[in-house]
Amino acid sequence: MKRAFRIYFPFINAGMQETATYRVNWIFYILGSVLGCFVSYFIWHAVFLSGEGETMNGFTLPQMIVYIFLIFLTSTMIGSDAAWAVGEEVRDGSIAMRLIKPVSYNATFLFQELGNKLLTEMFLVVPLIAGLEIVRTILVGSLQFSVVNLLIYLCSCVLAYLINFFFNICFGFIAFVIKYLWGANMMKNCIVGFLSGAIIPLSFLPETLGRIFMILPFASLNYTPVMIYMGVYQGAELLYFLGLQVFWALFFWGLSKLLWVISVKRLSVQGG
Amino acid sequence: MIQVENLRKEFKKTIKEPGLKGSFKSLFKPKTERVVAVDDISFEVPKGEILGFIGPNGAGKSTVIKMLTGILTPTSGRCTINGKNPTVNRKSYVKEIGVVFGQRTQLWWDLPLRETYGVLKEIYEVDEKSYRERMAFLNETLDLESFISSPVRTLSLGQRMRADIAASLLHSPKVLFLDEPTIGLDVVVKDNIRRAIEQINRQEQTTVILTTHDLADIELLADRIVMIDKGKNVFDGSVGELKTRYGQMRELNFVTDSTDPESALSYREHFSLDSEDVSVKREGSSVKVRFNSEAVAVSDILAYTLATVRVNDISVKDADIEEIIRRLYKQGVD
Repeated sequence: MKRAFRIYFPFINAGMQETATYRVNWIFYILGSVLGCFVSYFIWHAVFLSGEGETMNGFTLPQMIVYIFLIFLTSTMIGSDAAWAVGEEVRDGSIAMRLIKPVSYNATFLFQELGNKLLTEMFLVVPLIAGLEIVRTILVGSLQFSVVNLLIYLCSCVLAYLINFFFNICFGFIAFVIKYLWGANMMKNCIVGFLSGAIIPLSFLPETLGRIFMILPFASLNYTPVMIYMGVYQGAELLYFLGLQVFWALFFWGLSKLLWVISVKRLSVQGG
Repeated sequence: MIQVENLRKEFKKTIKEPGLKGSFKSLFKPKTERVVAVDDISFEVPKGEILGFIGPNGAGKSTVIKMLTGILTPTSGRCTINGKNPTVNRKSYVKEIGVVFGQRTQLWWDLPLRETYGVLKEIYEVDEKSYRERMAFLNETLDLESFISSPVRTLSLGQRMRADIAASLLHSPKVLFLDEPTIGLDVVVKDNIRRAIEQINRQEQTTVILTTHDLADIELLADRIVMIDKGKNVFDGSVGELKTRYGQMRELNFVTDSTDPESALSYREHFSLDSEDVSVKREGSSVKVRFNSEAVAVSDILAYTLATVRVNDISVKDADIEEIIRRLYKQGVD
């Protein structure tokens, strides 16, 4: 364990330095995500104003606002570019350079990406949670913040990230067959966005459909952590959804190992 | 040290018909074809040897190197290095080898060079003391000091290549694979790199496999040559053997003040040679005669030339490895 840490810690470090190198790109990335979040806020605000009652599918306007901002925060926290990164390395052949090092292929990606993310998240999580709670307190009239929910939420986000990362690695291995991943990646992002509740809350869907989606791994990515933060899941239900997250994380971890063994045999390094 | 037996690699290749129409066709109904990149190659390399691995572009050199380094899985055949199979236990195998691909870099693009070495130190579990000694040594042989604090993306090609070679040597590998380590470099950097390779090979008995298109690399470094063409092994032996086997052609150069040396000298009739065995070329007063030293002895041709025309300056050039290889690449070997 200690050895593994010594080997992979430099990747976290390298990831952070990479992010820090392109500062302007990083600032634009954060600004861009925040803007997207506000667009989504105004759309839902308009939807609520045109609606009849106080609530919509069980969501009040303050809850909807919290949902939108939390979904945004969760998406950036659990987001993973691994599929794209694997795909690019396969396309330009630089995967060869990773293979000549005595390290696990998946683990180097994981730690490098963690390094990339750590820096971004540090600057996003605290101000966003604080802002969110202030707005919520004003809208509802009393303080709703729960430290316990926040802590469980963060744990749930870590699990969600692991699911997302290993799912993306598995997906990235498609590049070994189709060589260029751009189109497939676009399609995947769209479908995952819908299935994970990032576009509309899963409880807005027809009941059977919603129930099916809840079991699929994608609900574990966004919807579950957000519901935990909002305090919707309690007691046994909470444990069930956390357990489901652990299950999917292990599932995709195992699958990625299996697919790696299969796909590395198919590798044909492109370009010299 | 290194045993390669009947190594073979096939690729599936999609064939696209030309033009936009062809693109559409291959979008819906791609045609594939099997391409044999490496076809039944065998050789052995003993410990401490520098093996020059040569062949024309597309001969399959890089594919062989990629199989030896565990990147590609052979379609059939076996390679054993240090008693290990590269594809079976990749992580423990690559710990003992160093690899440089001249056309790619293993350095972190956005990190200062020093940090890359720090990362490699942890990955290869090099302890602090040997790391410091090693860095001092590499610094001296490859002269890294002036750019070790710059991010890799700002290095020139020559600096990057030296840095890459240093990175491949940091953990004192037993085997070093160099795939075109001198590609695109100037004369001074080439010299520098050759010296470093030679030094490491001598001091540490590192086995080196080197592919290159610069035959000076081969002449200066390689103990032995393996030449492949179209995926097949066509020559295996020392530089001297290559010369005796294919290098019978010598070149006689002289300067004369006689006005028409060609008509005075008739090598073909005098020695009754075939037209392939001798050719004469004149530029002003200097004459170049290429001849097959097996068909006619050097001393005979010299004596005849000196007796027939007045010669000011005369020299016989030894078989030139570049000339031999040019001929071999062009015609292939039968």
